[in-house]
Amino acid sequence: MIEVANLSKRFGKTQAVRDLSFSVEPGTVTGFLGPNGAGKSTTLRSVLGLVHPDAGGATVLGVPYRELDRPVHRVGAVLEASEVHPGRSGRNHLRVLAAAAGLPRSRVEEVLALVELSAAAKRRVKGYSLGMRQRLGLATALLGDPEVLVLDEPANGLDPAGVRWLRDLLRSLAAEDRTILVSSHVLAEVAQTVDRVVIIHRGTLVQQASIAEVLAGAQGATRVRSPEASRLRGLLTAAGATVTDVGKGTLAVDRAPEKIGEIAAANGIVLHELTIERATLEEVFLELTGGETTQ
Amino acid sequence: MSALVRSELLKIRTIRSWWAYLIVIVVFTGLAVAAQIGSADGIDRGTVDFQSDLVETAGIALLLAIILGITIVTTEFRFGTVTPTFLATPSRQLVIGAKAIAGVVVAAGFALLSLVVVAAVALPWLTIVDAETHLADSEIWTRAAQQILSSVLWALMGVAIGAVVQSQVAALVGTLVWIFLGETLLIGIFGLVDVDGAAAYLPFQALDAADGSGGGDLLSYGPGVAVSLVWVALLGIVGAARTHRRDVT
Ligand SMILES: Nc1ncnc2c1ncn2[C@@H]1O[C@H](COP(=O)(O)OP(=O)(O)OP(=O)(O)O)[C@@H](O)[C@H]1O
Ligand SMILES: [Mg+2]
Repeated sequence: MIEVANLSKRFGKTQAVRDLSFSVEPGTVTGFLGPNGAGKSTTLRSVLGLVHPDAGGATVLGVPYRELDRPVHRVGAVLEASEVHPGRSGRNHLRVLAAAAGLPRSRVEEVLALVELSAAAKRRVKGYSLGMRQRLGLATALLGDPEVLVLDEPANGLDPAGVRWLRDLLRSLAAEDRTILVSSHVLAEVAQTVDRVVIIHRGTLVQQASIAEVLAGAQGATRVRSPEASRLRGLLTAAGATVTDVGKGTLAVDRAPEKIGEIAAANGIVLHELTIERATLEEVFLELTGGETTQ
Repeated sequence: MSALVRSELLKIRTIRSWWAYLIVIVVFTGLAVAAQIGSADGIDRGTVDFQSDLVETAGIALLLAIILGITIVTTEFRFGTVTPTFLATPSRQLVIGAKAIAGVVVAAGFALLSLVVVAAVALPWLTIVDAETHLADSEIWTRAAQQILSSVLWALMGVAIGAVVQSQVAALVGTLVWIFLGETLLIGIFGLVDVDGAAAYLPFQALDAADGSGGGDLLSYGPGVAVSLVWVALLGIVGAARTHRRDVT
């Protein structure tokens, strides 16, 4: 559906994307994640034929974007909410694009209603809030009722109500069997919406997997509570584990629960609790991307 | 292509500067004609010569035509609207082509509007001062047609410059400085090194010749139009290549 193959792009001294390959399956919602400057926008712009890669390339629906016939009807994209002439009204912005794509004016009113922007449609975009601009961007992407959507940080600048609105919209679009690639630098923001994630860092692929696999693969610590915490701690440390005392007889250990349970049983130590600490999404993300940004 | 041209025309009409263009054309053409008729007290205002010179005051439209041409390309880069534009039409040459056609249509409209203003001011005035009017004279109509073609050429030049330079401020300021200073300097330099004849081939000297009013060292009409078109084509090719290669980030 979307195939990125060995994509590389350099801007001056910055290697924005380096030999990146991944694919987006039809009918899935894929989160495209990475910290600021990871190369997400550069990759998406390369996929859409806006940036010329130095090497490698990408196809959408089997062909390079630039070779798509009537692209507005096949692929919808929003890259930046601010890519609108400030002096033009939201409605006229859409009319201009609808005219180029050979779409009727009625379609403009439909998408305006879909993103709940009809009331502000005749105002100039200059006076729009960031949230209204994001809605206008989504309306732009949906004009041609495309089967593929590419959205670059659509939740940027949205308030919590806006984020929820976006999540619901994306879910309903996904339910209509569209393929959606949505970028974000916050894993938690998309975790409830996406089926799969592609995580990049410094322009290279870190992980391509389902959300469940990402969580499972994370080095989550095990939490153990015992009335004999200090003795257990000594035994675990002797076994080579790193142990942190988190208070009230509870320890965080970087070993699997089975291993800890065996050591406790062998030494006759009573355990009150033994659980895998579900690493939060942010921790997983930070761990995968080295906890830093590339700028 | 017609859908693209319609989209480009809609872009021009849906921002306020559209009205500014029209108002400037009406006001300045009106003032120029009035000044020319009013200041010609001692001259016979009933001659074809005098009246065909009046037609030339429609030349205000030329400056607006080139500004429009530059702006319709560079605004897209300035505000980033080039992203949705190229997403809808990945062939960037087609986009430039549609802009050129839209520029031609609007520039012809500018010249027509200007001519209407000339007529609206001149005809009643000349009638009041009892000057014979020569509306049916072919000289007048030829001049009017040349004004329209000239406006179209200036708009095309603007689109080509916009595609080459891409930065709106640089393109507008650069062009105005070039028109009012650059070429004058070059003409001086050409004179110093004894290649005076070459000056007539400079882009805006050629465009000047192509408005049909003639003048000292300018090319004659036909060659003026031809040389103008060559410049438009050259800049257009460079502009299309630059636009094609550009990373839209
Ligand atoms: N036009 C450009 N000229 C120079 N450098 C650029 C350009 N576009 C991107 N870069 C650089 O390429 C790198 C990747 O940028 P990109 O915008 O793709 O990252 P991103 O993942 O989208 O980041 P963010 O989360 O901040 O949007 C950055 O270091 C950026 O500075
Ligand atoms: Mg980005």
